[in-house]
Amino acid sequence: MNPVPETPGSRSPAVRCTGVYKHFGEGEARTEVLRGVEFTGDLGKLSFIVGPSGCVKTTLISLIAGLLSPSAGIVEVFGRSTADLSTDEQTLFRRHNLGFVFQQYNLLAALTAAQNAAVPLLTAGVPRREALRRAGELLDRLGLGNRLEAHPRELSGGQQQRVALARALIHEPRLIICDEPTAALDHASGESVMSLLATAAVHPDRAVIVVTHDTRVYHFADAIAHMDDGRIVSWEGPGSRKPSSQPHPPP
Amino acid sequence: MNWLGLLMLRHDRAKFGAMIVAVALAVFLMQNQAAILSSILLMTASQIRDVEDANLWVTEPDVECFDQAKPVRDIALHTVRGTHGVAWAMPLLKIDTLARTRGGKLSTVCLLGVEDSSLVGLPRRMRLGNAESVRERDTVLIDPGGFSLLFPGEPPSLGKTIRIHNRTLRVVGISDASPPFTGLPLLHTSRTTAAQLNVGEERSTTFILARSKPGVDPEEVCRMVAERTRLRARTTDGFARDAMWFYGSQGVPMLFMVTIAIGLVVGAAITGQTFLMFVKENARSLAMLKVVGTTHTQLGWMMAAQAGLILFLGSCIGSGLAAAVCELVRQQPFLRGLYLPLWVAVWTCLSLAIVTGGAVVLSFRQVQRLEPASVFR
Repeated sequence: MNPVPETPGSRSPAVRCTGVYKHFGEGEARTEVLRGVEFTGDLGKLSFIVGPSGCVKTTLISLIAGLLSPSAGIVEVFGRSTADLSTDEQTLFRRHNLGFVFQQYNLLAALTAAQNAAVPLLTAGVPRREALRRAGELLDRLGLGNRLEAHPRELSGGQQQRVALARALIHEPRLIICDEPTAALDHASGESVMSLLATAAVHPDRAVIVVTHDTRVYHFADAIAHMDDGRIVSWEGPGSRKPSSQPHPPP
Repeated sequence: MNWLGLLMLRHDRAKFGAMIVAVALAVFLMQNQAAILSSILLMTASQIRDVEDANLWVTEPDVECFDQAKPVRDIALHTVRGTHGVAWAMPLLKIDTLARTRGGKLSTVCLLGVEDSSLVGLPRRMRLGNAESVRERDTVLIDPGGFSLLFPGEPPSLGKTIRIHNRTLRVVGISDASPPFTGLPLLHTSRTTAAQLNVGEERSTTFILARSKPGVDPEEVCRMVAERTRLRARTTDGFARDAMWFYGSQGVPMLFMVTIAIGLVVGAAITGQTFLMFVKENARSLAMLKVVGTTHTQLGWMMAAQAGLILFLGSCIGSGLAAAVCELVRQQPFLRGLYLPLWVAVWTCLSLAIVTGGAVVLSFRQVQRLEPASVFR
């Protein structure tokens, strides 16, 4: 599947969640985790979803990434409802349009930094030599030009996260989803990683959504959605809209 | 993507090594047992296949294999010669008798007496001496295994003597005859000499060896010979097949098959289980690959490449080991019939690949069920 074509002049949001509900389990074991979430992630913006632990921020980004399906409501990414895509289509959609940064980096221990960064290109069928060349160039720009052949265990946390960032950026996705990218880093490394993400978000055709509860990095956000008890309870930042006071009724 | 899979596999050296060793040992065990079984079965027909001049064997009707020596009426030879489609026919006399050497070694031997003028039935290949020397009275050829049994510790040489029924036979050649199934020393001599040692038996023909005329179907000739002589006539291939079937149906192959099956099941189980553990331990990495857009098809090929590499390396090591052991054992004169046929090597590797492939498919189903969202936890 090709990347989503850009419509000239269109500035519709990269991500729009409308009345999204999610529950796990059935019957007495049923647990409602998302309760009418309204969320928008705009292009060219670094949007934060913040909130206390256990407020299911990660569930929300799993829905946005198409890794989970909403129980009710609509999750649209670049104007497409994730529910309309089959599992295979979602996989290909992610391959071409999404980049991911994880709290625990999730680098493959067997691969070098360059090989890890090249994974999305290899998945997309780019020849190995070309993929590694591009990965090397990108890592060089991220300050890891001398660590291309290092394995994850030989890298510091900050360096590993930069490799993960390179993996998220290398195929030039239009949406980057980050799950607690600074949680395992010291302040300096966290600042460094967030600077790089903020730079990536400057691109007018790219949106970056960051889930975090690290208050030290809030100043990087263009918009902050505060989440609690399965809902977006407040918004901050220019251009961001407030959630509707009356969320969609539960299904 | 397959390349990434191989890097991941190589990275986990303990499991990678364990799986290769499991495959190698399973292949070795299966090939070793299968080689012994196939070699034993082939040895049941080795004296039949050694006679390359003739393509038809005529025996008493109830003879199932070469070692069931049962004389036929001597007159039958003329009837066979007179049958349409038979180019020529020669007698072969087989006697199982006791032989002893000057050193006091005593052993039952298989003595084959070939027709004096044509020498049809003599081994074609010789290790020492000239086969035609048996035209001379009271001379024999002996096979290497027989020589080492009757003259232990002595280097192969000519001129040794063997006593059978108070007659002294001189060894004039060491043949390269295929090792007999019975393991008895195999002596070849002229039919005249052999007949004089055939004490208590008037008939001096055990088998009639014949050749069909060119252009005539040997099976049709067999049918006509059987009809005219009321004996059993078979092609060389047919007689060899009957001999192998006769011994094969005695139950011994079952014992080998049990060991082969154990090798197959244990090898595949260890490999499959270790592969499953490898997949489970890499579940997070595989989930991450799914998140970044790797399809199930790509993951399937990746796992196939991993399994393929393990099977290839394990099979090479196991086959090499089995072939080396066979080669080592073959140095023993009595075990020189043991070898590892190519079809046995291919069959064992393929069967292990199929069974292990089943285990890999089960592992792949785990990967299919793997929830990609788990990578966020």
